[in-house]
Amino acid sequence: MSRSATKSPGDELVIALAGQPNCGKSTLFNAVAGFKVNTGNFSGTTVAYTETRVFFEGRTVKLIDLPGTYSISAHDIAEKVARDYLLSGSVDVIINVLDSSTLARSLELTIQLMEMDVPMVIALNMFDEAQKKGIAIDAAKLASLTGVEACPLVAAQGSGVHELFRAAFKVSREAYRYRKPVYDKDVEECIARIASRYPQSLGELARVNERFVIIRLLEMDPEFEALAQEADPAFLQFVRENRRFLAEVHAWPETGVFASHRHAMVMDLFEDVAVVKSRAKLSFGEAVDSFIINPAGGLIAFAALIFLMFSTSFWLGDLLSGLLEGPLDLVGRQLPGLLSGNVLILAAGLWDGVTAGLGIVLPFLVPLLTLMSLLEDTGLLPRIAFMMDGLLHRFGLHGKSVVPLILGYGCNVPAIMAARNLEYERDRIITLLVVPFISCSARTVIIMALAGKYLGAGYATLIYLGNIAVALAMSFLLSRFNVETSPGIIMDVPPLRRPYAGIVLRKVWAMTYEFLAFAWPVIAISSIVLAVMAHAGVDAYVNAALSPVTAFVLDLPENLGITLFLGIFRKELTLIMLESALGTANVASVLSPVQLLVLVVFTVLYIPCIATISTLWKEGGWKVAAASVALNTAVALVVAGTIAHVL
Amino acid sequence: MKLDDLGQGALAVIAGITGGRGVLARMASLGLYAGKKIRVVQTAPFKGPILVEDVATGARTMIGRKIAAHVEIRNEEPR
Repeated sequence: MSRSATKSPGDELVIALAGQPNCGKSTLFNAVAGFKVNTGNFSGTTVAYTETRVFFEGRTVKLIDLPGTYSISAHDIAEKVARDYLLSGSVDVIINVLDSSTLARSLELTIQLMEMDVPMVIALNMFDEAQKKGIAIDAAKLASLTGVEACPLVAAQGSGVHELFRAAFKVSREAYRYRKPVYDKDVEECIARIASRYPQSLGELARVNERFVIIRLLEMDPEFEALAQEADPAFLQFVRENRRFLAEVHAWPETGVFASHRHAMVMDLFEDVAVVKSRAKLSFGEAVDSFIINPAGGLIAFAALIFLMFSTSFWLGDLLSGLLEGPLDLVGRQLPGLLSGNVLILAAGLWDGVTAGLGIVLPFLVPLLTLMSLLEDTGLLPRIAFMMDGLLHRFGLHGKSVVPLILGYGCNVPAIMAARNLEYERDRIITLLVVPFISCSARTVIIMALAGKYLGAGYATLIYLGNIAVALAMSFLLSRFNVETSPGIIMDVPPLRRPYAGIVLRKVWAMTYEFLAFAWPVIAISSIVLAVMAHAGVDAYVNAALSPVTAFVLDLPENLGITLFLGIFRKELTLIMLESALGTANVASVLSPVQLLVLVVFTVLYIPCIATISTLWKEGGWKVAAASVALNTAVALVVAGTIAHVL
Repeated sequence: MKLDDLGQGALAVIAGITGGRGVLARMASLGLYAGKKIRVVQTAPFKGPILVEDVATGARTMIGRKIAAHVEIRNEEPR
């Protein structure tokens, strides 16, 4: 393995953040690198690794945010990504991030990482929370017992971060003293016996230190067992015999014998370095938790949350949008006096696009994103998953799908990526196909701005609830195609945490910036293109081509064809282009209430936007992406068409 | 006795877990294996999952009822 002790201070240093899910790796990453990766209080916010180059404390650092893993057994994609990276030999220092408030569990991974024999520093993150829970941790003692420097910090506030990185630089410069975790006598004897017969060919194949490989084999790691089989089948047989022997001596099942030994070691270590004071009073978070984890309390909290989400984005968005409308309109009306001819056509198109983004999308988007961020950071999602699991089973899904489904209300793209956390292919495919039916923030803006404004809050709510019903119906139908049942949910429930204003604001800003930098220009350019096309009469061809759908199935004016087509690029475009396509600001004067309803329902359900389709392709293959497009289009045509012809 | 027979607040020790390797591995990586002392914090409505707490570490995990039926436990009287 590569050693970094020889690196000079001028060289780039590769530091990997490794830790269990939800210990704040991404928060630490963002504290150093600025907002680059999303954070949330549930497992698996980071599903692939992110890397960035930063100049910190006078050194260039390549910082890698690895997905959270409870162990390095490579049971799921996240664990495999993290382990492969750490074993690749390109990492100079591992920063093992620990949630101090769950120190005992966190140390299980620390011991496994130590066995990799890569220079390492322990980051005792959320040190304040541990103190609040009455856990006093002696960092110096932890360092002396493990031989790994341990630094207390609170990444969310940025405190202790500089000290941590200075410690990491020091470890990388000075020769790292590998202090292997020592197991009890039986285990050590067993390891020694196996080591005496360790084949050289396996060393060449595995390219990691011998002791690590032996421990992985004793833990029945399929990947290393395959390597051992390839190198020397007789040796693997010998390992298996020893493993069986170890299990019999301790009367433990073979699968868990090594984990049990490690656990005992971890508990000893924990008792040596931490003192837990029992508290008479529950903390605020724990009190709230014990309320919402009850079925009745949870239902109340969940209903309140949905109401809050909906009403905030509706009322606040409406209010902000109204405030901006006047001034923007005033400027727009000056244009014909200032410009003329072709320039006016271009300028008016541009101004339409610019103001639409500013006045229609942003006021609804920002409140919704803020709420979604709060929801992510507090840790309510796993609790909703707990409560909804039983109910979702009736629709062919289970609680773990709750995380992607709820994230989908923000944006379908991260929601689809979050579906990676589902262990079973069947659950994953169904979730991938259901997520595009979830009304993301862009579509929620359309519901609010069209149905909410012209038909009233009642209709907006009805469309929103109808959308949930459609998503559940889809899940139910899709699960009928695949009758094999999934084993069910196993998911950790992290403690509730208070969200930090700074982190929530940075997150909202990152997503708003995304809109301003990428979507807004697209909207403005599309608006100009539409204005030019309308001027040249080209839009008529597009409208004519789409008229079987718009006019016949949906019973809408033919000139909406182009706006529906544009919605495939960005869903907001349909809303924004509507006014210019209809040639009036008062949509209700041209469209009947039923037509408005049809338009909104169709826009919410039809073809997912391009970004969603490409993410589906990446995550599930082209078949899933194609199936999703076909399914969404078919359902949108049937539902919206039925409304158009029945009402 | 199985984990899904336990009521709210019950203390127990995991005696063994039957079932596929994947399930075993995922339970183990969350710190749930034979010998672990657990407490049932809450059972979810609609035959939903069971929320268990690792008594030693305080870590909480939800386990679907179907999987819980594969977790053999020894009862432990609350102290």
